[in-house]
Amino acid sequence: MSSAPLLKVDNLTTHFHTSRGDVQAVRGVSFDVKPGEILGIVGESGSGKSITCLSVLGLLKANGEVVDGSADFEGKQLTGLSDKDLRAIRGDDIAMIFQDPMTSLNPTLTVGEQLIETIVAHKPVSRGEARKRALELFELVKIPSAASRLDNYPHEFSGGMRQRVMIAMALTCDPKLLIADEPTTALDVTIQRQILLLLKDLQEKLGMAIILITHDLGVIAEVADRILVMYGGMVMETGDVYDVFESPQHPYTTGLLDSIPDVRSHKKERLTPIPGSPPDMLRPPEGCPFAPRCPHAMQQCLEAMPPLFERPNAKPTVHEARCWLHHDDAPDSLKAIFKAPEAANG
Amino acid sequence: MMALTLFLIITLTFFLMHAIPGGPFTSEKMLAPEIEAALNAKYGLDKPIWQQYLSYLQGILTFDLGPSFKYPGVRVNDLIREGLPVTAQTGFLAMLCVVALGIPLGIVAALNQNKWQDTTIMAVATMGVAIPSYVLATIALYLFALQWNLVPTFGLDDWRGYILPVAALSGFWLSFIARLSRSSLLEVLGQDYMVTARAKGLHPQTILFKHGMRNALIPIVTVLGPVVANLLTGSFVIEQIFALPGIGRHFVLSISNRDYTTIMGITIFYAAFLMLMILIVDLLYMVLDPRIKLAEKS
Repeated sequence: MSSAPLLKVDNLTTHFHTSRGDVQAVRGVSFDVKPGEILGIVGESGSGKSITCLSVLGLLKANGEVVDGSADFEGKQLTGLSDKDLRAIRGDDIAMIFQDPMTSLNPTLTVGEQLIETIVAHKPVSRGEARKRALELFELVKIPSAASRLDNYPHEFSGGMRQRVMIAMALTCDPKLLIADEPTTALDVTIQRQILLLLKDLQEKLGMAIILITHDLGVIAEVADRILVMYGGMVMETGDVYDVFESPQHPYTTGLLDSIPDVRSHKKERLTPIPGSPPDMLRPPEGCPFAPRCPHAMQQCLEAMPPLFERPNAKPTVHEARCWLHHDDAPDSLKAIFKAPEAANG
Repeated sequence: MMALTLFLIITLTFFLMHAIPGGPFTSEKMLAPEIEAALNAKYGLDKPIWQQYLSYLQGILTFDLGPSFKYPGVRVNDLIREGLPVTAQTGFLAMLCVVALGIPLGIVAALNQNKWQDTTIMAVATMGVAIPSYVLATIALYLFALQWNLVPTFGLDDWRGYILPVAALSGFWLSFIARLSRSSLLEVLGQDYMVTARAKGLHPQTILFKHGMRNALIPIVTVLGPVVANLLTGSFVIEQIFALPGIGRHFVLSISNRDYTTIMGITIFYAAFLMLMILIVDLLYMVLDPRIKLAEKS
């Protein structure tokens, strides 16, 4: 906690109103992002990770609503802000890039125009100046022969290049925070790495903070400083990336780590999936959302929602996990699973 | 390509038309056989059909559509020239209604999806698509012209005369375009690039028109070409009902009269017009959608 947080999300709760009832997509999520850090948010599809970020920027679909909680950006409340005020922040101080660069760019406008309109919307500059800035950005994200590419349409770019265009577009106004929603998921594996390294490189060069949303723990391990593990619309575990990978404090995180195939292992091993499927967010369980799939679930886990327990001897970064096994009353035999992280990974 | 299409249309129509029993000078009033033979000889109808076909083609090449068989001394070119202003005027006004009302109504419905504006517009539009224009025209004529005397029953003497024909003519396509605009825009609104546009902090109007409508217009423009042609052909019936002196009325009459040259002339005119409209749409398409390029360019 060396500096004041850039973004402070507190008890954020988002519902989608549907004909079948309210889908409780995000249920009381709290976290903060410090200036210049990379926060990785992991979770499987439907865990609420993307919706959390869309809620912060007020980009929910018409039937989505932030019903409780707040998001505070540099002391300014984002939740409940008028669309006009939010517009001034979107694309300026907080920018966002999306999963599929194939569909996230407008097919009928040149990429140059899509950059220029963003610059002109936020800065008092002429179109000529905006074009110069767009060219600089293309060079910054390493698009080859940038000058001639500005007048191309999205379909004239490859997937990786389109994602570079998206990144350039997000950087138009030197954002303090970049939200990257699964930026590498739709790309080839070789391109994924290039884009990740580009993001990491840009983050160091420009000093912005990044929220990196992904379901790929490998991506997090590569670039993130801190990690937020989400499940069933809630934060399950949060902490420094090394702490969480070395000694996960939640059975769900352990499960996620165990399901990564180990290419260095010479033994023929089957993948270890987590059995079961995520909860129905129309009627989420009263207790821990992971309890029905958890190998260590106790009666209490099904009945009551566990709070976040802080790991006592963690480093400066807080390491918390939402699991009843950390309660003093939990049986020592079960607590043991967290005490020997190396063994758990073996 | 277009010339070939036109040639095929001419050929098909020519032989199909001649396949219909009877001829221009067959009627209930039996003409004396000598007179009928003389008339046939005058218009070349006594020659073998392939000769008639060749001489007709020859005429087409010089833009001569031949003499009308039913109106002595009148040439088909003149029939079209006289009727076109009326047909074009009503057609243009109807087209204006379709575009200037249909698209905005579709936008309003899409932006208020499932609210009262949407349900109302769509209910009316569904009726507009379902009810044939001649039924609408007849009912409107009865109510507004006969019962309430608000508009004249026939003719285009002042602006009030245009109201019913234009409304009847545009009703179907106006409803059709409103429905199409709504569904097209709704689809575009759900696209990822619309979220991107919002995430960039653009003004809602910029997002709607520059990003939304530009993409939503592509399927609408596809339909508009044939719509223009359809408004003109749709006027066949409407011109008949409102007794307007347009081309459409001549066309309907010419078929029952077996007025060969008039049938041919108007068919060719409409075919050429439709092709021109499709060409314009294709060109517009390229402006709207950069993914579509002329074959030679790529």
